[in-house]
Amino acid sequence: MNPVTFIYDWIDRRIGLNDLTAKYLTGYLLPRNINIWYSMGSILLLIFGVQVLTGILLLVYYSPSIETAFKSITFIMNQVPFGWLIRTCHAVGANMMVLFLLIHMISVIFMGSYKAPREFNWLSGFGLLNMVFGICLTGYLLPWSQLSFWATTVATSGAGSVPFIGEYILEFVRGGKLVGAPTLGRFFVLHVIVLPAGIAGLIGIHLFLLQRTGVSTPPSYDGPVEHWKGEQYEYEKHPDGIPFFPHFLVQDLVANCIYAIFFFAIVFFVPNIFFPAEAFFPANPFETPAHIKPEWYFLPNYQVLKIFPNEFIGLIVQGIAMTFLAALPFIDIWPKRNFLKRPLFLTCVMLGIFTFIGLMIWGHFS
Amino acid sequence: MGVCSGGLLTLIGAGTVYPIFRFLSPLSVDSHGAKVAISLENLPEGEAKFFEFQGRAAVLIKRKNGNLSLLSAVCTHLGCIVKWEKEKEEFLCPCHGGRFSPDGTVLGGPPPKPLEQLPFVVKDGSVNVG
Repeated sequence: MNPVTFIYDWIDRRIGLNDLTAKYLTGYLLPRNINIWYSMGSILLLIFGVQVLTGILLLVYYSPSIETAFKSITFIMNQVPFGWLIRTCHAVGANMMVLFLLIHMISVIFMGSYKAPREFNWLSGFGLLNMVFGICLTGYLLPWSQLSFWATTVATSGAGSVPFIGEYILEFVRGGKLVGAPTLGRFFVLHVIVLPAGIAGLIGIHLFLLQRTGVSTPPSYDGPVEHWKGEQYEYEKHPDGIPFFPHFLVQDLVANCIYAIFFFAIVFFVPNIFFPAEAFFPANPFETPAHIKPEWYFLPNYQVLKIFPNEFIGLIVQGIAMTFLAALPFIDIWPKRNFLKRPLFLTCVMLGIFTFIGLMIWGHFS
Repeated sequence: MGVCSGGLLTLIGAGTVYPIFRFLSPLSVDSHGAKVAISLENLPEGEAKFFEFQGRAAVLIKRKNGNLSLLSAVCTHLGCIVKWEKEKEEFLCPCHGGRFSPDGTVLGGPPPKPLEQLPFVVKDGSVNVG
């Protein structure tokens, strides 16, 4: 007997591999017209995996203290073999994670996949978006460069504008009145332990919900689908669909390869795209660089705080926008999903996207 | 098809594993501590100065008669770092009681061979190692 078959059979007799394969791979059917936008989740899983791997590797040499953090990063970049590659992959990967999360979220909005019965899928995804913002913010400080120090100072200062308790919140977040050693300590713990564990847990919940509810059918499909009636729990089956393995897995792999080309093109050809000049100087709390700005994904928030004369009003506006986004499945309760047949919905979504991009550009040039 | 897929997967695997392996491999000793200069002004007679040289512990002794010795401070028994006993003018390994003379010769205990002697040059009042 072929040794591979022998080993497979040996394991199958003990844990029922054939059953698992039939249930979750070859027998797991997906909508026939499933498209590339459904691969964003697998790309995000790949990015998260790369972030965890490169993050663990960086911890081998990184030293989380204000005296040694910048030196250890310089050491990784200049002296450790392939240190520049691991660190650049980690920094670029963080930006890719936010970018692809936003793309994933927008594609879900356009395809109406957030609608009932997928409210929990949406909420867990929204939670993931916020946690990724958190992990990016905390990771940004760790190199202890001028950019890290002052971008964190700017990004955390908004909390101080909350009436009565703002100062306390700000001091609690920073561990002191200013960004310093206590900030680095708490951001380090959040970045390497608390938030990765939280994100991994929430990814698990997100995937469980996806599996439990069934993959949503793209809105343009007119074949047989057992839609949810709302009376009791029901798994969305796709009787004439394509199997997850090998059909969709190959599509996922193609999407992952395209992403890898895009990712490595940045890593190898424009590695400093996310590193302005301030990233190459150690933090100096007594010298603020000119035109310091947060990362691109925080620019809309930064600009909103600047537009309003009172920072607290700016925070409230952002809070309303985020609450609206979180509550979207409970606000948009109509079953129609095809965005081409929903002009008001399409207008609102496009306005939202243009406002976000517009604020980002404005924030960059302001 | 199978050979192509296997070859591609091997290439991707090697391209991933090799940088990680090199990243985690010990750094070349030439990259730090390649040369050390120790001023003799700060080293009184009978005292020892411990320092890192090419990634290993080393010790410079200025004996009471003014002679200098430069040795590896790593005990040849199980790799502990020896201590300098100023009064007795000898080294003692605190792990298993190995004893060495100021020139590294084994005086007693389990060490199988003497401490390694390191080359040095005295120039302008300082000892240059490496």
